[in-house]
Amino acid sequence: MVVAVKVFKKTTPNGKLTVYLGKRDFIDHGEFCDPIDGVVVLDEEYMRGRKVFGQLVTIYRYGREEDEVMGLKFSKELIIGKEQVFPMVNAKMEMTPMQERLIKKLGTNAFPLTFQFPQSSPTSVTLQPGEEDQGKPLGVEYYVRVFVGDNEDDKAHKRSSVSLTIKKLQFAPPTRGRRLPSSLVSKGFTFSQGKINLEVTLDREIYYHGEKITANLVVTNNSRKTVKSIKVFVVQHCEVTMVNAQFSKHVASMETREGCPITPGASFTKSFFLVPLASSNKDRRGIALDGHLRDDDVNLASSTLGAEGKTSSESMGIVISYSVRVKLNCGTLGGELQTDVPFKLLNPAPGTVERERVNAMKKMKSIEKHRYENSHYDDEDDSNIVFEDFARMRMNEPE
Amino acid sequence: MFMDGNNTAVLPLALQGNGPRLLGWNLPTEDIHLLIPHWQAFEAPPFYYHLLLALVYFVLMVISTVGNGIVIWIFSTTKSLRSPSNLFIVNLAIFDLCMMLEMPMLLYNSYYQRIMGGDLACTIYAILGSFSGIGGSATNAAIAFDRYKTISSPIDGKLSRGQAIMLITFTWFWSLPFTILPTLQIWGRYVPEGFLTTCSFDFLSNNDETRVFVACIFTWAYCIPMFLIAIFYLNLFKHVRAHEKMLKAQAKRMNVQSLSANRDAKSVEIRIAKAAFTIFFMFVCAWTPYAIVALIGAFGNRQLLTPLVTMIPAVCCKIVSCIDPWVYAISHPRYRAALEKRLPWLGIREDLREEDTKSAMTAVTAAPTEET
Repeated sequence: MVVAVKVFKKTTPNGKLTVYLGKRDFIDHGEFCDPIDGVVVLDEEYMRGRKVFGQLVTIYRYGREEDEVMGLKFSKELIIGKEQVFPMVNAKMEMTPMQERLIKKLGTNAFPLTFQFPQSSPTSVTLQPGEEDQGKPLGVEYYVRVFVGDNEDDKAHKRSSVSLTIKKLQFAPPTRGRRLPSSLVSKGFTFSQGKINLEVTLDREIYYHGEKITANLVVTNNSRKTVKSIKVFVVQHCEVTMVNAQFSKHVASMETREGCPITPGASFTKSFFLVPLASSNKDRRGIALDGHLRDDDVNLASSTLGAEGKTSSESMGIVISYSVRVKLNCGTLGGELQTDVPFKLLNPAPGTVERERVNAMKKMKSIEKHRYENSHYDDEDDSNIVFEDFARMRMNEPE
Repeated sequence: MFMDGNNTAVLPLALQGNGPRLLGWNLPTEDIHLLIPHWQAFEAPPFYYHLLLALVYFVLMVISTVGNGIVIWIFSTTKSLRSPSNLFIVNLAIFDLCMMLEMPMLLYNSYYQRIMGGDLACTIYAILGSFSGIGGSATNAAIAFDRYKTISSPIDGKLSRGQAIMLITFTWFWSLPFTILPTLQIWGRYVPEGFLTTCSFDFLSNNDETRVFVACIFTWAYCIPMFLIAIFYLNLFKHVRAHEKMLKAQAKRMNVQSLSANRDAKSVEIRIAKAAFTIFFMFVCAWTPYAIVALIGAFGNRQLLTPLVTMIPAVCCKIVSCIDPWVYAISHPRYRAALEKRLPWLGIREDLREEDTKSAMTAVTAAPTEET
């Protein structure tokens, strides 16, 4: 059985130009990044004597539109790729299999459009807007723009241009590694002998979105204080390098008195389970999400994987990291004992067994959605390409 | 006796007759104690001077009422404009309206060529002036601070509503000491000045109390706000410059081969510098004349302070209170959008300006972002 390939398409308001993209999520594999491969279909009559250009654009939004003062914009648009689509400059351009297939199917007025993400371009991240926030959400966004114009710097006209929002994402490496991240801290007290030791070990280094995180706690109390309660958090650390801002948010948390008080001389071992999910952090301002195109498949922002030997500050954009934070409450005078154990939260790499499993789970969850999509499949289409309207899916398109 | 005074005022030139009249000639005896000896050395200004001043004040009064009135009305009734930052703009408009309330009194006084209503009216006039003046200066500083915070850390550094309200309360308290102390004549006092149709604090009495008062109010209401405004806008500008530099470096790393990028980066800095300088310059224009006159009165050669010269500073700060809504509010895209919606007959076209910034942006990005 041949599996249908889904293709996204979007047409300019005047209907003379249609862009087809094989996918909307492009993966940064570390050493290389998926090329953005699309096909542009033109209206033959209309295009006579006209030129068509394509651009790959990234927008940094680092402040709310409504806060803009003094004519300063809290967003920056960078054109990171330009190409003349029609007339074709490079006829012998290498095409991806997707492009070859589409061009074969769409006929002579179809032209390929290819972009590469530049090195050190950040991944797509959206900061969840608060309820009161108006305007577009903050974060890093990419889109492909195709327009009719006289030269590549020409201003695009609304009627004859089209923009498709895409995402640049990072996936987990095929194997998750065996290292178990852990942290051991101890706390002494003034005017009192002995220490409280806390050891936290996670059951993995890399978790997939939706997976349960197991944190194993070992508390040894050699001090004269007692531990009153234990708090465990999953903390999302978000570094917005565009504005040198850094903040941490709890995306999952629990507090327990189980085993407490841990009296002097006692020890306590226990495993805690936490599942950080975007759905449990709805409407919380500033939670970082993997650039969201539609509401239902949104997940928390994936950890940013830096290339080897590169510090995060070198890559502009939004750098995401996670940690499990454990706090022991040692009473009003004793204060708190706290430790952070870093881990990574990512999507499984495509093709791996885990990927299949996660996909299957997702499908089960959204059968309704799937049905809806199926109803939009083009029935006349006899080949195995399915065209999906781009506009319908997009929440935050730049118009 | 009152009638007499009034009649002379109405028929000025005819009765001026022989010899120049000195300032204060028409003050009734019960108000004569308000007159500072300094003024008695000057000739009374001719009636048309009063008329001219009244005309200027009338125009300013209309502009201020309309400008600040619309600002308060739109900002308080439009939901999208109720942000903490905009509270400051409303606060400034309130102060400016306070200052405007002086103006009808002046019109009335000008007609009679002297301060009318005795001590009480003089005190009310001066309270309005000093309260709104000092409060306005402090609000200017607060706005500078808010802008610095907003621009330097747009994601997490913004003032919350509570903080904004606290700062606004602070501006009110800031203006209180130098309003209340002269009112109660604990320290300093309010007296007629210039044409003797306006009132302000006494900077001419030849004693140490007055001199120290002038020095203190000079520092409190002029130097400190000006220093703060300068510091905040300077830091804001520095931040914008560093940020633009950073973005440019990133663009370079990503191979954004748009040569025009540099040009635009510069224009952002220049735009900010211009806006910041305008506001600072406005503050200087508004209050430097007053500061200079007061300092001369207290420490310098008083003979320089003719009635006409002392009227200049009052007009300056009133002019600025009329311009404020234009500087702070009209440059606010959302305010203009709201205005356009509410008062379409004003002919404000929000999209026009949008085009402007866009083409500036286009230089870097060659890409119009459609806002709104």
